[in-house]
Amino acid sequence: MSTRVVVLIVLLAGVVLSAITVTLLLKPEAPVSVRDLGKHYINYTRHNTSSPEAVTAIVWDYRGLDTIYETVVLYMAIIGGLALSTTTRKIVLKTRIGLTSIAKTATRIIVLLIATIAASIALHGHLTPGGGFPGGSALAITAMLIIPVYTLQSLLDQGVSSTRLIAVRGLALTALGLVAVLPVFRGLEAVTNLKFYPSHIAGMLISGSLWFYNLFEFLAVASGFAAVALYLSIPEEIYREEIGGVE
Amino acid sequence: MESFVYVLFIVVLAVNALIAIYGIVYRRSLTKKLISLTILSDTVFVAIILVGFIFKYPVVPPVYSGVESEEAFLLEHASDPLPQALVLTGIVIGLAVNALIAFGIIQVYRLTGTTDAKRAIKALIEEVMEE
Amino acid sequence: MIVTLIVLTLALLLSLVFIYFAVTEKDLLKAVVFSAGQSVCYAILLHTMAAPDIAMTYLAVSVGLYSALLVFVISKTERYEV
Repeated sequence: MSTRVVVLIVLLAGVVLSAITVTLLLKPEAPVSVRDLGKHYINYTRHNTSSPEAVTAIVWDYRGLDTIYETVVLYMAIIGGLALSTTTRKIVLKTRIGLTSIAKTATRIIVLLIATIAASIALHGHLTPGGGFPGGSALAITAMLIIPVYTLQSLLDQGVSSTRLIAVRGLALTALGLVAVLPVFRGLEAVTNLKFYPSHIAGMLISGSLWFYNLFEFLAVASGFAAVALYLSIPEEIYREEIGGVE
Repeated sequence: MESFVYVLFIVVLAVNALIAIYGIVYRRSLTKKLISLTILSDTVFVAIILVGFIFKYPVVPPVYSGVESEEAFLLEHASDPLPQALVLTGIVIGLAVNALIAFGIIQVYRLTGTTDAKRAIKALIEEVMEE
Repeated sequence: MIVTLIVLTLALLLSLVFIYFAVTEKDLLKAVVFSAGQSVCYAILLHTMAAPDIAMTYLAVSVGLYSALLVFVISKTERYEV
């Protein structure tokens, strides 16, 4: 047996034995009740924010400013990656055919299923666990699935380029900022929920601005990571020519 | 029985963090350092959620499901929602920083031709000294 | 309660095995696969600890986005360490 497996078995045995020793010597007590702040949140969230899901209410209503700044940080990272991947000339690649038609048909079915599930996770975020960010990531995974099957050049031919996807992300972020800033014009604070937005629309529970936040965050995250996948799959010879200085 | 699992949690998470820190410091490839950094941040997130966990049966997530007189049941048996909200923000910011580090690794390989940390730094310093 | 405790113990020990193999592996593609396995173990752990929001987010980010990002990085730089 190689050295790695021996060290691993020694590690496992050491961990279990030390856990048993500490339990018998110190006799600690496992926690059986939540702290008072958690009990306050569980008690009052349905009355204050009209959303039965405590985690989404904390993320977008009680601590909404933190989440808006986190979205801005993600935007900066995507723009930083774009700055390291620009080229001076237009990109024209040679291969346009892609994989066989069996792979293309299977990809179409899978992408449709994943898009439905991602939309359901995002738009249901104020009623069930989920929200804008997991839905956006699930939709971005489909972009990473499409690029090897239908090659990059056929996507660029149809007008789907990374700068246009980043423009879509910018529009979604503007809409998000608008939803946050709109109450200021009535004299309220910046990120208010129930004092300005309705809690039910046409009889369906919408919990004020939480549904709109989830929708725009879903669009923003999906388009941002699709742009990252697009400019990560440009082949390396183009960059070697740029750095080598081809006239 | 519950206290044994509680102590095992703390010991295993500490050993995981130590192996990840060993991977960051003593491995020479930049990509391996990035993988170890993601492992370290994930271990810290699980440790934060451990603070809001209760060892009772049954334990449910803090979500109302429309049944009447549910508040008393949830106050006794639900887990803490506040650490979960903080970890959600942490995962997104960790993703942004790791994506930027990945682009940095690709750029270092284009400029120096290697992803070995010592040789890359030496090549970059020599390039600056020549000018 | 006993089933919850057994699932927690097994997921914790399996994650330790995966992390050790991921850090000490010389072939970087195998290290990415071990890292994805560790993420699955942590997602099982998070779901059993009554945090389904985090489990969904963590699964989509760590198994989907990190693995794809690292495979892109490995294909543009070197595959074997040292």
